[in-house]
Amino acid sequence: MTHALPTTQAALAAEPPAARAGRRPAARLLLPLALLSPSLVFLALFTYWPVVEVLWDATHQVTRRGTRFVGLDNFAALFADPTFQRALLNNGLYALGTVVPSLVLALAFALALNGAGRVRALLRALFFLPVMIPLVAAAALFLFLFLPGIGLIDHHLARLGLASANWLGDPDLALSAITVLTVWKNAGYYMLFILAGLQAIPDEAREAALLDGAGPWQRLRYVTLPALRPTFAFVGVIALLNAVTQVDHVFVLTKGGPSDATKLLLFYIYEQAAERYDAGRAAAATVVTLGLLAALTALSLSRAQGPEAAR
Amino acid sequence: MSALPGPVTREVTPRIARWVVAGLALVWAVPFWWMLVAAFRPAGSGADASLLPSLAPTLANFAEAWASADFPLYFLNSLALCAGILAVQLVTASLAGYVFARLEFPGRGFLFGLFLVQLMLVPVVLLVPNLKTVASLGLYDTLPGVMAPYFATAFGTFLMRQSFREVPRELEDAALIDGAGWWARIRHVYLPLTKPALVAFSIVSVTSHWNEFLWPLMVINSPDKRPLTLGLASFTLSAEGMQAWGLIAAGTFLVSLPLLAAFLIFQRRFVNSFLASGIK
Amino acid sequence: MISWWKGAALALALAAVAGLAAPRTALATDIELFFPVPVDGALARNMTGLIKEFNDAHPDVKATPVFTGSYDDTLLKTRAAIKAGKPPAAVIMSANFLTDLAIEREITPMDDLIGKEGKDQPGKGQEAFMGQFFPALHPNALIDRKVYGVPFHNSTPLLYINADHFKEVGLDPEKPPRTWDELDAAARKLTKREGDRTTRWGLMMPSNYDYGGWILEALTMSNGGRYYNEEYGGEVYYDTPTMLGALTFWSNLVHKAKVHPAGEQKGPAVTGAFLAGQASMMIISTGSLTFIRDTAKFPFRVAFVPMNVRQAVPIGGASLVQPTGLSPEKRAAGWTLIQWLTSAEKSGWWSRATGYFAPNKAAYDLPEMKAFLEKNPDAKIAVDQLANAKPWFATYRTVPVRKAIEDELQAVLSGKRQPKEALAAAQKAADALMRPYVEDTALRLPGAE
Repeated sequence: MTHALPTTQAALAAEPPAARAGRRPAARLLLPLALLSPSLVFLALFTYWPVVEVLWDATHQVTRRGTRFVGLDNFAALFADPTFQRALLNNGLYALGTVVPSLVLALAFALALNGAGRVRALLRALFFLPVMIPLVAAAALFLFLFLPGIGLIDHHLARLGLASANWLGDPDLALSAITVLTVWKNAGYYMLFILAGLQAIPDEAREAALLDGAGPWQRLRYVTLPALRPTFAFVGVIALLNAVTQVDHVFVLTKGGPSDATKLLLFYIYEQAAERYDAGRAAAATVVTLGLLAALTALSLSRAQGPEAAR
Repeated sequence: MSALPGPVTREVTPRIARWVVAGLALVWAVPFWWMLVAAFRPAGSGADASLLPSLAPTLANFAEAWASADFPLYFLNSLALCAGILAVQLVTASLAGYVFARLEFPGRGFLFGLFLVQLMLVPVVLLVPNLKTVASLGLYDTLPGVMAPYFATAFGTFLMRQSFREVPRELEDAALIDGAGWWARIRHVYLPLTKPALVAFSIVSVTSHWNEFLWPLMVINSPDKRPLTLGLASFTLSAEGMQAWGLIAAGTFLVSLPLLAAFLIFQRRFVNSFLASGIK
Repeated sequence: MISWWKGAALALALAAVAGLAAPRTALATDIELFFPVPVDGALARNMTGLIKEFNDAHPDVKATPVFTGSYDDTLLKTRAAIKAGKPPAAVIMSANFLTDLAIEREITPMDDLIGKEGKDQPGKGQEAFMGQFFPALHPNALIDRKVYGVPFHNSTPLLYINADHFKEVGLDPEKPPRTWDELDAAARKLTKREGDRTTRWGLMMPSNYDYGGWILEALTMSNGGRYYNEEYGGEVYYDTPTMLGALTFWSNLVHKAKVHPAGEQKGPAVTGAFLAGQASMMIISTGSLTFIRDTAKFPFRVAFVPMNVRQAVPIGGASLVQPTGLSPEKRAAGWTLIQWLTSAEKSGWWSRATGYFAPNKAAYDLPEMKAFLEKNPDAKIAVDQLANAKPWFATYRTVPVRKAIEDELQAVLSGKRQPKEALAAAQKAADALMRPYVEDTALRLPGAE
């Protein structure tokens, strides 16, 4: 949950610090490196080295007779694997299905609940509660909600005389069910940022729009949304990253099934590594996933730079 | 959360929209409401899916959850995990933050960029190679093994660097004239002045590690080292077979309670911390 | 600021104290037993009680039961522990994973511990040892003529029927369906509808990972099929007429007769629906028998799995295995635990507590077991069905090979695939998974390389 993406470009354009005069270059390096070393050791162990290892694994094949260099064969096999294609597609649909509704709902919540008042504060807290519970705990609750026939949803559908559904067991519904859980869990988190974004909009802009006789929809369209653009860019990237990195509920609810319907990239990697012992393919899938994450990050940097450069 | 400070405008968002949001709030509350109702309902009443509270509420589900899983131990493990990660992170992030905020040396930009790479290479995606590293360090199935990948934090470093830069230089220069070493300067000049950032970072760090599941699942095998999330998952799995939904609800409630309570008590701090994790 | 540092330090100190204060038994060998809870019931607690009894009786060994999730999860956890150099001394492992584990040399044969038949040791040796257990269990435990596993609890699939529902629609609960024809007819009668909505299903069978493959194997065997090559770990018979018949039968129950719900059904959801009166019949493991007996608020009966061509079912359940890489002390201590757990007395107790049948034949000669069967004739049916039992599907990379057919099964039950094309796809996927092994064994011919 530690996201600081759009901020990074501001950091890269670092201001020159005051020079500490009168020291030789070697001596000037000593203190910084000493202070950075605790971090660098752990970064080397758990961030840089794994990348090397993944790249090595992705280009080698371990068979019963030994290990050999295979170039891009693992990638070819990966993209030819229908399950991986499915996982890519699923993750795309899942990202779309979680990000768009989450952001629309978060905006609606924020617009309706912005401002003072006890009821608003209460509802804001309510929408935020799911953020504070572990994803596995949310999954444990939704296990019963989605239970076919006797679960919470089906039970109440039946009382209304509606047909029940096998929410997690039907390949057409399972991914949507997982998506609903994610939207429930995360919308409140995104609401927080949009609320902050709304408060940053100068009153004059709205007052001017009011004086011009703009209706609520026009004000939303021409004042609020444009002002929220940077917020949306940022929150959108967080939501996309979450769609790739948070898969705990898949472990508890569906294990990627039925028929691969809820197989997401990270679960695919886990399965290849832990269940199929296919280190090469797991590594190739990791490289692809990292590539996607890098692309998303780059996108966020360029998007965040946009409005700033215009200033 | 408490009301965010801001102008009270006569925002004329259509009333309908507000009613819709109020209705959605009810929908949002349903899983929590069911959890409470089911947790306090006597077992075997055959009304698992009812949303009406039982007329004869019982603590039996909690007693049974308490007896079938070692929640106090899981709680201690989660606490040790979060505390251990945070303690090391505060040191590494403060030191690195100070370096990038105040020291000048060749290659600084490059090193900083190297740090920021971690924002992209989320540890969870690297879980397969990281597990190998943890095992070869002899840390498999240990709590330090779960903590280690998080000891260096690009996010924390970045946050500390930003707040250190807000500290007036003159204060450090004054300390320097008094002969204070780098540690004394960080400890007595910078850290006291950047408390809000430290609190914000701590809340975000603890929340995310308290709720983590996949990485501890890979590293931990022994039941006496499980954090709450792992304990809950295995508890849920064994209780699901018994169709003991009241038991699952009670267990989920127990596991979710600490952080929910902390949030409800310190709402404003939490909200501000989460915002700080994203704002420029 | 300072309070934060202090808080963190305090928590660390607390954790350290808690670690130091943990009791240490200096002399006893500490071992771990990994055990899964694959089906219904409060098995976890029963296991804790059982191990406590063992520890009290064996002061030189301190065993800790470690609950490791489902059968599949237990395999993953065991492999992870072996790789990390911390193997448990004994694991209750799904009986059909032994072949794969033996191929990968991740478990050790136990023949040296069993000892050899000799003049001075009559009644020892492999034959005498395995002779304690029902013959149907041997193929999944003996691999390459070595004892890789000791059967601990075993099961077969069983037909459970709601007697009240049978009477209500004019069927005789004392004569449960014996053939697919009768099963189909009974399911049609038992299903209740209100408009488009089905309020009661005639029959439910679980199709989640692990369970689905086992049930499909039961249907395939009842249809005369073999499912896999019992002698060789690189062949499965997915794309065959016997399996096509079995899968089509299941598919027709869902899509033609509409007496079985569509989509993947999880084991607990099936028992849940049966217990709630929303399903009149189900085919699930004997391992759920005690749980159903204790929970059902209506009279129920159990029967053999109905047949089409012949009476045959696969065994299920688990064997005790020992991973490679154990120290001699731990291995010996683990072996003590394994022998104790699989003795007639403990085996029988566990059987009565769960519903699994006791693999140790001698368990059924004990007076308490005789009294139990007298009182619970349904438990006897599970044992009787053993006469028709066959080994359980076991190959190289068993779990992914099994998931290959289960993914297709779930697709068929959801109406996404026709049985014929599903089986072809499953066969192709399974063959690809087993290819490294096949190339290294059956297709490794003289002259090549």
